[in-house]
Order: sequence, then structure tokens, then C-alpha cells
Amino acid sequence: MTDPAFRPRRRAASFDRDARAALAAIGRRAEVARRLELGSAEAVLRSVVEAAVALFEAEAASLALYEPARNVLVFRVAAGEQGQGVVGLEIPPDRGLVGYVFSSGQALAIADVRADPRFGRSFAEQTQYVPRSIVAAPLVDGRGTLGVLEVLDKRSEASFSLRDIELAGVFARQATVAIRASRVERDTSTLLRSVIGALTGDDVPPAGIDALVVAALAQVDDPDDPLWPLVEQIAALRRVGPEHRELLGALLDVLVRQAERGGGRRAGRLRAPGG
Amino acid sequence: MTDQVLPAWSEPFVGARRDALRHLPPFGTLDREWAIGGTDGSGVTVAIIDSGVERDHPAVGGKLVRSVRVELAADSDDDPLVLDDADALDVVGHGTACAGIIHAIAPGADLVSVRVLGPDNRGKGIVFAAGLDWAIEQGVGVMNLSLSSKSDALFGLFHELADRAYFANALLVCAANNVPGNSYPSLFASVVSVAAHDLANPAAWFYNPRPPVEFGAHGLDVDVAWRAGGRMTASGNSFAAPHIAGYAALIRAKHPEVTPFEVKAILAATATPPGA
Repeated sequence: MTDPAFRPRRRAASFDRDARAALAAIGRRAEVARRLELGSAEAVLRSVVEAAVALFEAEAASLALYEPARNVLVFRVAAGEQGQGVVGLEIPPDRGLVGYVFSSGQALAIADVRADPRFGRSFAEQTQYVPRSIVAAPLVDGRGTLGVLEVLDKRSEASFSLRDIELAGVFARQATVAIRASRVERDTSTLLRSVIGALTGDDVPPAGIDALVVAALAQVDDPDDPLWPLVEQIAALRRVGPEHRELLGALLDVLVRQAERGGGRRAGRLRAPGG
Repeated sequence: MTDQVLPAWSEPFVGARRDALRHLPPFGTLDREWAIGGTDGSGVTVAIIDSGVERDHPAVGGKLVRSVRVELAADSDDDPLVLDDADALDVVGHGTACAGIIHAIAPGADLVSVRVLGPDNRGKGIVFAAGLDWAIEQGVGVMNLSLSSKSDALFGLFHELADRAYFANALLVCAANNVPGNSYPSLFASVVSVAAHDLANPAAWFYNPRPPVEFGAHGLDVDVAWRAGGRMTASGNSFAAPHIAGYAALIRAKHPEVTPFEVKAILAATATPPGA
């Protein structure tokens, strides 16, 4: 830890106005990218659970992603009629089977879930579905663990085999690659935190980094900012067919040229103040 | 199709593939009677580094003598804190499952629970390492680690801890991760690395002369203790490791002078013949 190569190049206190403005601009661009990519990231998650149901001949599959800012695992998507009730469910990362698989990195299978009335009751109350058997594998790659993939109730067998656990582990690893590739850093504050962390090294206390992140994102949450409706409309354009998209793209191009002629400074909104 | 999946660590221990484990044992005179006959593990302490152990669970048989939990310090520059866990809780059930397996094999062994489930990627590796460090300091003879870290940044730290355990006469029994790739300390040479075989026999364990995963033990559809006094049928390398930890405790109880390297050799010499 005392290796001089890891010395911070810059301390948080020395972040001057320009640096803070640059962080704000990074935060703003990341947020734009995040809002634009929201739909495609969800589509990848859905395709992962749908593929899992087909691959394992399962009744249902679901996928929980870790949200570092709130320290919870959130079930984001599910496939299979039976599995839908789980979407939106939040679980602490050190609780339950899903939490264990996330925290330990170990894939596990459990069978005969109904034999444990405590498990069944609490799970059924929240999801309206009590599976017979579950295999759960961590969504992991070289950069860490993103969340957990759960596959519920193999149709052809009473429980999942060792082979299924291995296969779930390999499949989850490939799914992680796809999920990583599909999303621009989903959580803008995490992105900023890592940028500041890389600039300052380990010497800045987390509270100092948090303060910088909050300051950088102060503008992003402004609901009256006319940028966000524009971003929303552009994101919606991604859903139209290719021929319409081309037409709309051309139209948008004309509008932007008009706007630039009308007021050069306003077109520079995305630029950091002073930068 | 499943045959084309990347080979995982269980593969050498499953079905017809076990034939490839045939190997000339160098310890022909050793047998299980000599290795573990007549002992119940009394005098040996086994640490379970996991999600906690439920002290009152019937499967633990009242043998949990100490329970601690490890938490990150408020200031990230400080070492994680090891705190006494008076309530002896298991928030998952997994650690109690491992403790129950060990107790069923070595009912005389004392058990120590080290709860190390951290909140995030960086935290959990550091917390796990701190728990392992603490258990080594306590002079525990056998440790069950049904979890591992994938963090390249922590490779050096775990390597140092694995060496320290070995030199301190502590045997680390680690579950192999189900997915090939980084997995520390389960892939270090000084530890006993375990994957699951597919037989419904808790007394069968196999030796694989081709490391890194040298032992296969019962890990498919294992009847295990679980949270809140319950039981569950569970599968995974996680449940294979505590079988080997239990037998290692018996070997250490009967032969207190043996070192970790000798325990491993005795486990190999007394393994179930692959054709059985």
C-alpha cells in the first residue's frame, strides 16, 4: 500500500474550479448516454433470462443487479409466466441465497425448497411463486460481480445437476460480458466516483469523494432542464423503424443547423462552463 | 451440447471420468482405520469462514465455541474490525450448512464461526482476508472456506495468508469455484481444494493427481442444515469442502503431530478408489 507508484497525483482539496466544472460536464454527458442507452441495456437483460429459460428447460429465470449507491440487489427482469412477481424485489447483498451467491461468488443449487416452510412463506408472499428447485450463479467478470442469475424449476428433473450448476456459472459469465458491453455505466455517480478515485488515489476519504460527486451531479437532477425532454425524445426515436429513423435524423440535422445559426452560444450547452 | 461446455473442476470426479484418476498410491500401507479409526475429532478446532453459524441449530450439536463477525472499518484506511457475535446468527444458512456437515463427520471437534459476508466487491475481499487472518492467529487447526475471491488486486494478500496458514500449521480446505478463472485462495498449492462428485455417498472422497483441484467429495443433493433451524437439499462445491474439512479434523485429532502437507498426503492415500 505504500508503493510510491500509487501516490495520489492530486488531492481532493486541490480540485479547483476548472476540475469541478470538468467533472460536472463528465457527469452530464454520462447521464445523457445513460438515458439514451436505457432501452438497449434492458433488452440485453431480458434476452439473458429468456435464453436461460430455454437453455435449462426451466419454468422461470430472473436476474438481480447490484446497486452500489443503495447497497441492494434489485431483481430487474424475469422470464417465464411464473417468475414475474420477483421483478422489483430488493435484497441486501449479505442476505438469503441470492445475497450469498453474490457475496461469495459461488454458484449453488437448492432443491426441495418447499420443504423449508420459512423460506417458502416469505418468498411466496413477495413473489406469488414458490419454486421446487433453484440454481443461482454470480454475474461475474474480471472487473467484479454485477449481480446474480437465478434459474427456477427445471421441467424435466426434480432438481438441478452438478452439470447444471457448472453450465449456469459459464452462462452467467458470458451474460456478464454481454451486459457490460450493452450498457454505458448505468450509475453515473459510480462512474464519477471511479474517475475521482483514479485521479486522487486511495488517500482521499470516501466522504470527500462523495462531496465532489454530489457537486458534480447537482445540475443533472434539474427537472426543468430542457435537455432531458430532448434526450427522452431521441431515446424514443431508437424504437422506430430504420426508414423512419433516417427521415427523422435528416429532419433533426436541419433543426440543429437552424438552431446553430440562431444562437451559437446556446448550442454549446453541453460544454463545461469555462472549458 | 453440455459436453462442449468448458471443463469445470468437478469434471474429473464425475461418472466414467473417474477412471482417469487411477494412480499408483505411494502409501500402500495406510488405510482409513489407521487414519481416522476410533476418533471423533475431539481436541481439534475447525473454523467456518462463511455466512455465520446458528449456535442453536441441532445439526451443530452445541459445538460452536466462538462466533465472530468481520466488518469494514468506518475509515477505509483502517483494518476491518473483528467483533464478537454474541447472538451467533447465520443470515443465509450456508455457514450453518457447512458446520452441520463437519459436525456430522467430526462430532467431537470444536467449531468457530467467522462471518465475512461483505457489502461490495472490494469490501468483501478485504473482509474475507481479515477473517482468515484472524482465524490463523487463533491457532485453529482446520479452516473451511466455501468461498473465494476473484480480485486480482488481492492475489498477493491471499497468497501471503495461505503461506502464513501453512507455516502456522493450519490446514485451509477450500471449495473450488464452479467457474474456471481466478479463485483465491482455492487455487494455491498449499491449500486443499475440493470440488463435488456425483455420488450420494458422504463417506466417498476421491484424489485427483492433477492439480489444482485435488479432491472430490459429496456435493450433489446434500441434505444440509439451513437458517432458522431448518434443513434443505443443496448442491455445489460449497458443500463438498466441509466433508473434506471434517475428515481432515479426524486425521488431526488422531495424529496431532501431522502437518498440513501430511494431512493432504493422508487424505490422498485413504481416498476412495476411483473404480468403487
